[in-house]
Amino acid sequence: MKSFWPIYKRELFAFFVTPLAWVLITVFLLVQGMHFFLLVDHFSNMGAAASDQTPIQAFFGNTILLYLVLFLLVPPMTMRLFAEERRSGTIESLMTAPVSSWSVVLAKYASVLTTYVAMWAPTVFYLVILQRSGEVDWGVAASAYLGVFLVGAGYLSLGLLMSAITTSQFLALIMTALVVLGLFILGVGEFVTREGTLMHDVCSHVSVWAHMNDFASGIIDSRRVVFYGSCVVLPLFVTVRAVDAWRWG
Amino acid sequence: MISVQKLVKRYGTGANARLAVDDVSFEVDKGEVVGFLGPNGAGKSTTLRILSGFLGMTSGKVSVAGFDIRDQSFEARQKIGYMPEAVPLYPEMRVAEYLAFRAELKRVPRRDRPAFVDDAMAKANVDDVANVLIGSLSKGYRQRVGLADALVARPPLLVLDEPTAGLDPNQIREVRDVIRDLGKEHTVLLSTHILSEVEASCSRVVVIAKGKLVAEGTMESISRKRRAAGLVLVVRGDVEAALSAVRAVPGIAKAEPEASGTDTHELRCSWQKKLDEAGTAQAIEQAVAALVSAGCFVREVRPIRSSLEEVFAELTSSEHGHEHEHDEKADP
Repeated sequence: MKSFWPIYKRELFAFFVTPLAWVLITVFLLVQGMHFFLLVDHFSNMGAAASDQTPIQAFFGNTILLYLVLFLLVPPMTMRLFAEERRSGTIESLMTAPVSSWSVVLAKYASVLTTYVAMWAPTVFYLVILQRSGEVDWGVAASAYLGVFLVGAGYLSLGLLMSAITTSQFLALIMTALVVLGLFILGVGEFVTREGTLMHDVCSHVSVWAHMNDFASGIIDSRRVVFYGSCVVLPLFVTVRAVDAWRWG
Repeated sequence: MISVQKLVKRYGTGANARLAVDDVSFEVDKGEVVGFLGPNGAGKSTTLRILSGFLGMTSGKVSVAGFDIRDQSFEARQKIGYMPEAVPLYPEMRVAEYLAFRAELKRVPRRDRPAFVDDAMAKANVDDVANVLIGSLSKGYRQRVGLADALVARPPLLVLDEPTAGLDPNQIREVRDVIRDLGKEHTVLLSTHILSEVEASCSRVVVIAKGKLVAEGTMESISRKRRAAGLVLVVRGDVEAALSAVRAVPGIAKAEPEASGTDTHELRCSWQKKLDEAGTAQAIEQAVAALVSAGCFVREVRPIRSSLEEVFAELTSSEHGHEHEHDEKADP
């Protein structure tokens, strides 16, 4: 694990030194800012009509915007992690240094997760601004951020895996986007299948829409935490196996 | 320092399987500079990748500095400074930055890092580009940054895969000089398909072709193979007398007139097979003596050496590819 730290630092450096990072962050904050502005505007005009919801709930759940952002954000963040190193051959220098596959995988994962958290961090200011004219339930906000963190962590882990199984960044991008989209569509199945069927149970278990609505309302369900926990751990495990597998190809 | 025993590497499985390395064994002792020679596609890079711990082997046993590359991969990798074939580097980093990263990755203690990095840059001759982005360096510089990377943790063993590939003659000379200096402190195994490369910097060579070991030995023992061809004598006088005199000399298998000048004749002689160095020298003396006593005047005595390239071609061509020609490591 000693090699975790240098690789982690280098990955962060490599990401922030490219224009891609700054484009992603700028677009992300622009979209989130607009999203938030429209919501607050909507709630201040509608007043009593929308009283069963707060702007925080709407910001983190119940609208398509959050998922659209995740869908557009995660694949370009993870696509280069392994695919680029394998294409350019730098993976050879990396893996012939005294490092373990686990530390390489974890360091790369931790670097995108850090970036992801750093991208969301400025949105806390939205809530601070909101508090100046209203009341913010910080417990609910914390729960909502936990939801955003867990969903993002799961998606990033899947993206890392996709990057490890191909040498093409573009393919990694497409595959990650498809998996994220696939999970979302499977989750939407909750609303179209009949209650009580197996399909309905499966769909509601993976439904990111329902999960985020819970988190945004301040409900932390241990099933959700376990689900996203396994969405993180399982792909990471398979990624390590994939990295080991190149050597025996 | 390196011990490779019965190494086999097969890519793919079933009908698509391709044997890249087929039962190769060799050793590299401490302090040696060994050239790993073979035509492109002979399995050099595959062997070096297995040595460096990047690829797994199908069967066999490889140990580096006493550590098995499979079971003690971690310790073995710490002993090797490996420079991959295309010298992959991160283009977005500066040279000194990159080397500091590599030093940290290779577990150089924090307080030693600046000194180790400076030292590696000085040895590889890249200190003048320390703050330049790697992406904007020329090929020659990149190659030397790769060398500095291999050196940075001061490993006892350097494994360099085609360190001079794609360089111009001046750059090749520079890199060669660096390698020769490195040979004083490190054990070096370097692969190449250029023979003069090996001649310039190596004390011993291992030659492989089509995945098989075809020759192994010191530079002299390989050079002995190249003594071969024969002798050209330029004489003045009667051609027939000269020819019969030369043909009578023991050791000379054939002598033919090749070209004639206004009053001189050029005779081309070839040695009998398996004539050793002393025998050749003796035969040359006797040939000259025989010519003189036959009343001819000797103008020129010129041994024909087959070029290293010819020896190389002979060693690695398909007819010879299958017979193992082991030369004793110890030379007389």
